Amino acid sequence: MTLHTPFEAEIARLIVESVNLETPAGEIDPTAPLYGEGLGLDSIDMLEISLAIGKQYGVALRADDEANRQIFASLRNLAQHVERHREK
Amino acid sequence: MRSTSAAGAWRAAPERGSPLLLRLMIGVARRLGRGATRALLPPIVLYFLACSRRARAASRAWLTRALGRPATLVDLYRHFDTFAVTLLDRVYFLAGRWDCFDVRLHGDGPLRAIVARGAGCVLLGSHLGSFEALRAAAVFSAHWPLAMLMDNANAQKAARAFAAVNPALAGMIIEAGAPDSLIRAKARLDAGALLGILGDRARPGDRTVPCPFLGATMPFPEAPYVIAGVLGAPVVLCCALYRGGRRYDLHFEVFRDPLVLPRGERATMLPALAREYAARLEHYARSAPYNWFNFYDVWSDSR
Repeated sequence: MTLHTPFEAEIARLIVESVNLETPAGEIDPTAPLYGEGLGLDSIDMLEISLAIGKQYGVALRADDEANRQIFASLRNLAQHVERHREK
Repeated sequence: MRSTSAAGAWRAAPERGSPLLLRLMIGVARRLGRGATRALLPPIVLYFLACSRRARAASRAWLTRALGRPATLVDLYRHFDTFAVTLLDRVYFLAGRWDCFDVRLHGDGPLRAIVARGAGCVLLGSHLGSFEALRAAAVFSAHWPLAMLMDNANAQKAARAFAAVNPALAGMIIEAGAPDSLIRAKARLDAGALLGILGDRARPGDRTVPCPFLGATMPFPEAPYVIAGVLGAPVVLCCALYRGGRRYDLHFEVFRDPLVLPRGERATMLPALAREYAARLEHYARSAPYNWFNFYDVWSDSR
């Protein structure tokens, strides 16, 4: 059983759409790692997700941001980051 | 297809050349100069030829395919010797000692045009030839902004070599395999950099395409084309072939400008792109068979 906040559900749908994920959005564990073990995304997937997030919400994930590891650590972290910084 | 065993075994292969040996070699090379140090190489080459059974087997497998005939001991010696010379030359290239070499550029005009318009591009390299010669040409001669995406082990090796000879170069390495590796790479491309990526080696877990290569099948990574496609960047092939004496021939070839890769056509386009690259690499490999600097039998897992 996976519980998403409404915004986590939105980001989960964006992830599934931007990388053609087979896992349904509703089944993404909000606390599991997105990269590598966990959801199994690779760095190409992460790039595509960051581009989609930039387009959708105007949030640019910065290349020099040491917090990136933290941001990508889970759906929950990513959703919180985007919600905090969104411009659209 | 995600590769596992092939790349895993390659990375597990023991690394010849400890940091101490590296420092010793650099010291000798700088003190004696290229000509004198070159004269010291034959016994070292013979030692490695005699003692490194796995590298010998890999060399034999490679040369037999690339030469199109059974490789002899003389061929193996020449292969090891070419590797040793280019390894030594790395010291001089790293130090910006352009005067040691006769470097000739081929096909650099279109690449200069891409750099001039500030577009940035993916520079697709391989284990054929000397990446250090390319790096030196880009940095010291052409003054191109260069970044290199390298896997962890290679990034550490390169970082050690940079630290020992020319620490100013360290900033150009982007370590692959982190969640934000390609986000970093994108930032460099956006700033107009040339992004060096290996087109003939996949990292464990990377998606690969089996491609015909020198009469057999070898897995080639999809990642370079996906990266360029996602970013709409041009792709330029490159290799720096050692031709003996002081001479290096640097070849550049525009592969796609830009690479257009619609999502819906990836499944068909990626294998075609990888195969086209494999065919170009085969062309250069046949023209410089002793320049293959990957002493691991790349076919052993894919037969």
